[in-house]
Amino acid sequence: MLLNLENVTKKFGGIVANNNVTFGVNTGEIVGLIGPNGAGKTTIMNLISGIYKPDSGKILFDGHDITSLSADKICKLGIARTYQIPRPFPDMTALANVCVAVMCGKKRDKMSYGDAMLDASHYLEFVGLFGKRNTLARDLTLFELRGLELARALATTPKLIMIDEVMAGLNPGEARKAIRLIERLIDEYKVTILWIEHVMKVIMEATDRVVVLHYGAKIAEGKPKEIANDPVVIEAYLGEKYA
Amino acid sequence: MVTIEHKRAHIKVHIGNFKFEHVIEPRYWRNPLIGVAFILIIPFLLRDMPDLLTLFATANIYACIAIPLSWQMTGIGRMNFGPQFFLAIGGFTASLLSIYMGFGPWITLPFVILAGLIFGLIFSGLTTIAKGLYFSLITLILPLIFLEITYVYTDIFKGETGLCGVAPLVNFGSIKINYFVAGILSAVMMLIYLLIVDKVLRSRVGLFSAAINDEEDVAKGLGLNITKVKIITFIITSAMVAGAGWFAAHYFGTFAGVTYLPLSFMLKILIMVIVGGRGEIYGSIVGAYFVAALEKALTFLGPIHYVLFPLIMLILLFSLPEGLYGLYRRHKYREYYPTIRIRNR
Repeated sequence: MLLNLENVTKKFGGIVANNNVTFGVNTGEIVGLIGPNGAGKTTIMNLISGIYKPDSGKILFDGHDITSLSADKICKLGIARTYQIPRPFPDMTALANVCVAVMCGKKRDKMSYGDAMLDASHYLEFVGLFGKRNTLARDLTLFELRGLELARALATTPKLIMIDEVMAGLNPGEARKAIRLIERLIDEYKVTILWIEHVMKVIMEATDRVVVLHYGAKIAEGKPKEIANDPVVIEAYLGEKYA
Repeated sequence: MVTIEHKRAHIKVHIGNFKFEHVIEPRYWRNPLIGVAFILIIPFLLRDMPDLLTLFATANIYACIAIPLSWQMTGIGRMNFGPQFFLAIGGFTASLLSIYMGFGPWITLPFVILAGLIFGLIFSGLTTIAKGLYFSLITLILPLIFLEITYVYTDIFKGETGLCGVAPLVNFGSIKINYFVAGILSAVMMLIYLLIVDKVLRSRVGLFSAAINDEEDVAKGLGLNITKVKIITFIITSAMVAGAGWFAAHYFGTFAGVTYLPLSFMLKILIMVIVGGRGEIYGSIVGAYFVAALEKALTFLGPIHYVLFPLIMLILLFSLPEGLYGLYRRHKYREYYPTIRIRNR
């Protein structure tokens, strides 16, 4: 197991965002994390990446207990993430954006500013944004920002990338491109992926295993086909009538 | 064996095995040597006009506050409204040591830097604890509290009149030469500050500072230890501002809390930084010279300048949101420059 969550609970005041969630991600696997709005998917991601600390439970990554580590240390261990609403450094160029990730992501000995620029150019080229390297991030389109986020996540040389709703707000053509980009990313960099997505078609086709959350608790886990026919999941999504 | 080779934008000088390479900046107005020469020539031109030399030194002291402050604002991602607190720390350390212990200016300097570092360390926790507006509010109150302290312990700080009789910066026997040398020293100090901050902002620290200024949480998520960067930035810039206080105390021979600590002085600093161009060190020098000159020009109008000066400043704040330097750089965003925003989250 690369990532392991054991009985993780997170409460915001009286609201239970995650209740006793337990699941794991194997090395090289693509795991989908789905659930209706407000099910606690993004909270799970924030707990893993260290933005929030769980109230109880344990998070293990690659043999380390990361439950109480800060976000920068967790990133250095090899977890990168993208954001649901892209959050670039708006007043920096695309190249500088990726450069920050290259220089901070992992301890690299004797890396100069120039080397970091070169490395960052490589990642920008991979997501197809090399031509826009000198554009300010605030001038990029939504699709380009998603690419930039992926490039930034890749630049920290992660073992696990958590992707948060990469399809939201993209038109069908862009969505196809985005899926192809993620497929290429898996092929070339051999990273493990935890993928939050609302578009069911993508999750069913692309993932090896799916975890379903509902009201903060895990209600199902299994192969995409099994999940699609699971009455509990159908009830959570469509109501009792269709189950 | 010396050979000089000239290729398009490079000059290469070989002296034996040693190679020296100089890149000629084709855009001559960006050549730093021209700017340095221009600033160092000013005291020679003004050598017979002590009042203008004082104005020049004042402008340089202002710049010595504005330059580190520009770095600080990007490096900690927050607006500091109370840099004059550290100015006063430096000024009072220098003047108290000079008056009560009889130290000369060059002996007080290490103590001033030490005091700046210590007080910077004490208040550096604010950069991680207090967010956005709260940080601004706390830093706004700090100098006002210090002002009160100078009134309460008036036998030490001489709250109303200020401390007099601080050892002069240089003493060559002739007042004219003293003014001239002190003017050059002020320019040299400003240029040293500029060199330090310019080097830092062009290095990876500059990139990290910019990332913190733009999106603190994201920078942390990308593996940057933001606490370390913010605290070190705050401590170093605080010590640099304290250094400006040291110069002011020894240059004028007197240091009063009433001059430097009230809100009106803060307004001047704010205008320097913002009119010059936010987060832009070269702009802040333009801003500092502009404010010093405007202040001097308005004194000819009589007492009304106390009202006019802040009024003009406020109008500039609204009419030039990107600053004088920002006007020039508006269409040149290929080069990165960060903007300062006050966050409310």
